[in-house]
Amino acid sequence: MKPNIFLRRTSGRSSGRVPATTLLAVGLVASLALTTGCAKSEDDGADSGDSKSAAEDDAGQVVSSPGAGGKTCGHGDYGAKKLDLKSATVGFSQSEKEANPFRIAETASIKAEAEKRGVKLLTANAQSQFSKQISDVQDLIAKGADLLVIAPLNSDGWEPVLRQAKAKHIPIVTIDRKINAAACKDYVSFIGSDFVEQGRRAADRMIEATGGKGEIAILLGAAGNNVTTDRTKGFQERIEDKAPDLKVVFKQTGEFAREKGQQVTEQLIQSKPGIDGIYAENDEMGLGAVGALKGAGKKAGEVKIVTIDGTKNAVRGIVDGWIDGVIESNPRFGPLAFKTLDTFTKGGEVAQDIVIKDSAYTKDNAKSDLGKAY
Amino acid sequence: MGAAVLSVSGLSKTFPGVRALDGVDFTARAGEVHALIGENGAGKSTLIKVLTGVYRPDPAAEPGTGVITYDGSQVEFATPLAAQHAGISTIYQEVNLVPLMSVARNLFLGREPRGRLGLIDFRRMHREAEQALGGLGVRVDVRRPLRELGVGAQQMVALARAVAVDARVVIMDEPTSSLEPREVATLFGVIRMLRARGIAVLYVSHRLDELYEVCDTVTVLRDGRSVHSGPIAALDRLRLVSLMLGRDVGDVREEGLTKFSGSHDTEAQPILEAQDLTVRHQLRGVSLAIRPGEVVGLGGLLGSGRSETAKAIAGALPPDSGRVVVAGVPVRTGSTPAAIRAGVSLLPEDRKAEGIVPGLSVRENIALAALPGLSRFGLVDEARIDRVVDTFMKRLRIKASGPHQKVGELSGGNQQKVLLARWLAMNPKVLLLDEPTRGIDVGAKAEVQKLIDELADDGLGVLLISSDVEELIEGSDRVVVLKDGAVVEELTGDAVTEDRLMRAIAAAPAAQATTAAPGGDDD
Amino acid sequence: MTDLSLGGRTRVDRDRLLRLLQDYGVHLGVAVLLLVNIAITPHFLSAENFRTQAVQVAPVLIVALGMALAIGSEGVDLSVGSVMALSTSLLSLYLGYGMWIALLVAVLGGAAVGVANGALIAFIGVQPIVATLALMVAGRGLAQVLLPQLKDVHDPTMASLGSGDLLGVPYLVLIAVALALLVAFVVRRTTFGRQLLAIGDSRPAARLAGLPVRRVLILVYVCSGALAAVAGVLATARLTASDPTSLGNLMELSAITAVVVGGTPLSGGRVRVGGTVAGAVLIQLLTATLIKHDVSPSWTQIAQAVVIILAVYAARERGKR
Repeated sequence: MKPNIFLRRTSGRSSGRVPATTLLAVGLVASLALTTGCAKSEDDGADSGDSKSAAEDDAGQVVSSPGAGGKTCGHGDYGAKKLDLKSATVGFSQSEKEANPFRIAETASIKAEAEKRGVKLLTANAQSQFSKQISDVQDLIAKGADLLVIAPLNSDGWEPVLRQAKAKHIPIVTIDRKINAAACKDYVSFIGSDFVEQGRRAADRMIEATGGKGEIAILLGAAGNNVTTDRTKGFQERIEDKAPDLKVVFKQTGEFAREKGQQVTEQLIQSKPGIDGIYAENDEMGLGAVGALKGAGKKAGEVKIVTIDGTKNAVRGIVDGWIDGVIESNPRFGPLAFKTLDTFTKGGEVAQDIVIKDSAYTKDNAKSDLGKAY
Repeated sequence: MGAAVLSVSGLSKTFPGVRALDGVDFTARAGEVHALIGENGAGKSTLIKVLTGVYRPDPAAEPGTGVITYDGSQVEFATPLAAQHAGISTIYQEVNLVPLMSVARNLFLGREPRGRLGLIDFRRMHREAEQALGGLGVRVDVRRPLRELGVGAQQMVALARAVAVDARVVIMDEPTSSLEPREVATLFGVIRMLRARGIAVLYVSHRLDELYEVCDTVTVLRDGRSVHSGPIAALDRLRLVSLMLGRDVGDVREEGLTKFSGSHDTEAQPILEAQDLTVRHQLRGVSLAIRPGEVVGLGGLLGSGRSETAKAIAGALPPDSGRVVVAGVPVRTGSTPAAIRAGVSLLPEDRKAEGIVPGLSVRENIALAALPGLSRFGLVDEARIDRVVDTFMKRLRIKASGPHQKVGELSGGNQQKVLLARWLAMNPKVLLLDEPTRGIDVGAKAEVQKLIDELADDGLGVLLISSDVEELIEGSDRVVVLKDGAVVEELTGDAVTEDRLMRAIAAAPAAQATTAAPGGDDD
Repeated sequence: MTDLSLGGRTRVDRDRLLRLLQDYGVHLGVAVLLLVNIAITPHFLSAENFRTQAVQVAPVLIVALGMALAIGSEGVDLSVGSVMALSTSLLSLYLGYGMWIALLVAVLGGAAVGVANGALIAFIGVQPIVATLALMVAGRGLAQVLLPQLKDVHDPTMASLGSGDLLGVPYLVLIAVALALLVAFVVRRTTFGRQLLAIGDSRPAARLAGLPVRRVLILVYVCSGALAAVAGVLATARLTASDPTSLGNLMELSAITAVVVGGTPLSGGRVRVGGTVAGAVLIQLLTATLIKHDVSPSWTQIAQAVVIILAVYAARERGKR
């Protein structure tokens, strides 16, 4: 009645080789990593010329809504001490791994500005883990940061950090995403883009490119993301307002990824060969759409494409004639962030919500401004 | 003798197609250690499960039968928990406690001493745990996780828990199967203590010596019936064994009930020699030899190490020490492929789980082991497989709708033949047959028996394990008798009789203690 | 009496019908979707459209073939998506030596992940789902370390691999078909295939029958890893970019879906290559239909879930038999 006793015993025995095989597995991974030592990438060196950090040769950001009418924040309100930014230590907490052009440019811009101003900068990267970001910021505080610049991964869950910063009177500026807390009380200012406005401007470009008539498609970003919602909202509102003859006939997600953008566009041009324009909510999907159009034998310019972000690849797409407009989502927060901190620590008033001005790339400026793209 | 605590009368339990218990009578009394014994399929496990609320008994055929009486009143436990709450504790072979919790937590699980605010009073719990275990002669750090303890100590914790919850009946299912002798002694001390406290202990074991050492009364089950109940002292070992096996001592042996012919030529050099096979808790220096053309029977009770011996020889159970020599060449132990290459094949006891591959066809099952030999450069030679399969399906008279029928759909006897075919296709030197005729119908049984005979005549060495004493005696030229994982006797020639077999199984342990674990200096 | 036998007969017929439906339901589903699309989708019946669908399904199908082997051995390989990412990273890193060398390195990388998976499963006895989950996490991480961000591929051979064709049939499709035939051949005609099925059906029996269980298991995961790596290379060629961050995301789920929908039971012992191909095509057609008709993306996911549930339900019925 208990035949599996043997089984259990015998299988229990087979674990004797654990160390050997663990070693094997570890060795495999290690050797795989080592082999990259002799890797030879396709265009090593060839690309470095134009990928020279764009943050340096760009003046950075311009405030698009300079506090007029908006609330401001001063020393007294926040309860911080006056200090000289030059001798202060600034802590910067990045939310995501610098694996996409936006994050790379963002971090580079902060670093470049700190260097320019001669400010001591501490940096940390949360690798898309919120718990890590919290401990990152706490570390920065512990290491003696007098001021904090945070690119938050989430909007919620910041209370413990804010309380800690408050106790030490550390001013905080958040960039690119907002946190759910009281401005000028829990943090000083938020500097970011207006995604709805980006959508509106993309719509303007689309109307101009198509002449305000025809059928267009939207490649949505990842579902449940406020960037997706805002960029869709702004775009659709503006189209309905200004060009009622421009019909959105297709709305599918490309999940902000090039491959998905390509696949969805392929389906699109099969079922609706007469499509006039494609609005991609980020550059990557737009580039995927370009790939799909090329694969289907379309010519450059046959389908108008407008995208948002302003990466180098997309701007080059304008130069090549495949893309008609790229609305920039400016990642270069460095100059503005430090300017804000500078004003604030000197005792001046700064706006609580600072919306940066995003530029745009069209046929007219794409070639000349390619260096500005990130 | 104390009052009856737990008793059943005329208890039956039927599963689809099987009558596991058939009118069992049994009474456990306070302050008594009651042995419950029987061979495989006798119904011990089913009885325990009915007593502890795992199974419900069949509805009574007539009033007053088929009921469980506990503490003077008729009961029916809906769940194991209900039985536990009523005071029936079961200690299984595999201790069913929470290995990651501390010893004390396990001991007081569900009834932790609470302090103010309803929080667990750890200090009190640890103190009381130490006392409870100390009372059983066990000294361990009660704060450590249970899993860090040895199996014996874990069992003591389970026992202590049973005692602490005021159990009136404690059921132990083979408690000594993985204990060291020293731990066994401690366990027996505890059992005697329980008896002195007026607790009824139900003790299930296959080890006769233990039964005689610690038990007062015995109930023997056979084929779902209780065949004997009474004081163990009044029953000599031989009588006990004969009751279990259902063979009467001194019975006139009727020849020809099985399909085995007489004996085979046993003059040649051994084709297989197993030397000093030792597996912790299972085998203690088993040695045996098989000559070509000879059927060697492996006798002994359930749990005596018969299947383990076969598995150790076949490479399916890695021995701690000992070696296997086939045709004069040592075989790497613990490797089934090595054993098979050497020409040793095992027909496992659990045909359905370890033998057949149920989803594959008869053809694939027969060709399974021989596949590399029936392939060229890793590609299967279908024509050759067809020839081999055809040959063996005819030779073994395998009844299937065709070679492509799934093996899982065949009858037990035909499945067994498919397995035999699988091995015969490998041209083995030695076949190890573990219960080859169990669970197959009478006609197929006779066919398989005849086949075994023919194979031996063809010069194969055969090791035969069977719980069917008649089959074992008539089928074997020699019988090696195992007891508690060691060889106790070898019956040859005219001594191969049921009588001698039962005497060997029942033999007193005098010689055994000294011969135990001959190669066991590693222990 | 007549009633009885009649009843018995319809019963048998129904059972047979049910079994047929379970075995060929996926083919039926593909046929139904094709007919529906021909009826309602504009421009569906064009060579270009079929080409698009075939090209899009090719990488999924290739991954699903490896997955079918893993599932047939009563395992699963969750690391396939990460292997695709790793393969695209390695490809990009070694493209300087030319496409063939880079391809070789990528496939070797996939095979190495397979060896690690197989070793964990066969020697240490880790559950396949846990072992491959570990490699799934580690593989993606390694891929991103090797190539931190998307990198364009300019190699012309790669570009033509991704978009070229032979007599109108895209290379991608040719490769997928060839691999499907190869895997079908391996399962049916080689000792490895037979042993894999036996191991998947009854591990203890296979072990006692002396089968090289460990070797076969390792080989299964090596095949799965290598196939995923090939899929990664093809996906890269099509995109003309290496994107280790997003390439192969959720690919393991698509592949498992294709295999399960194709009628390969999760309990092992059976590999249906034809069914797997049909399963992958079914999912592709379903997605395409919904996208072409601009159905909200959330509904696309729900539709896929329904198909999976139907397939698993059918498999459950099969298990009862």
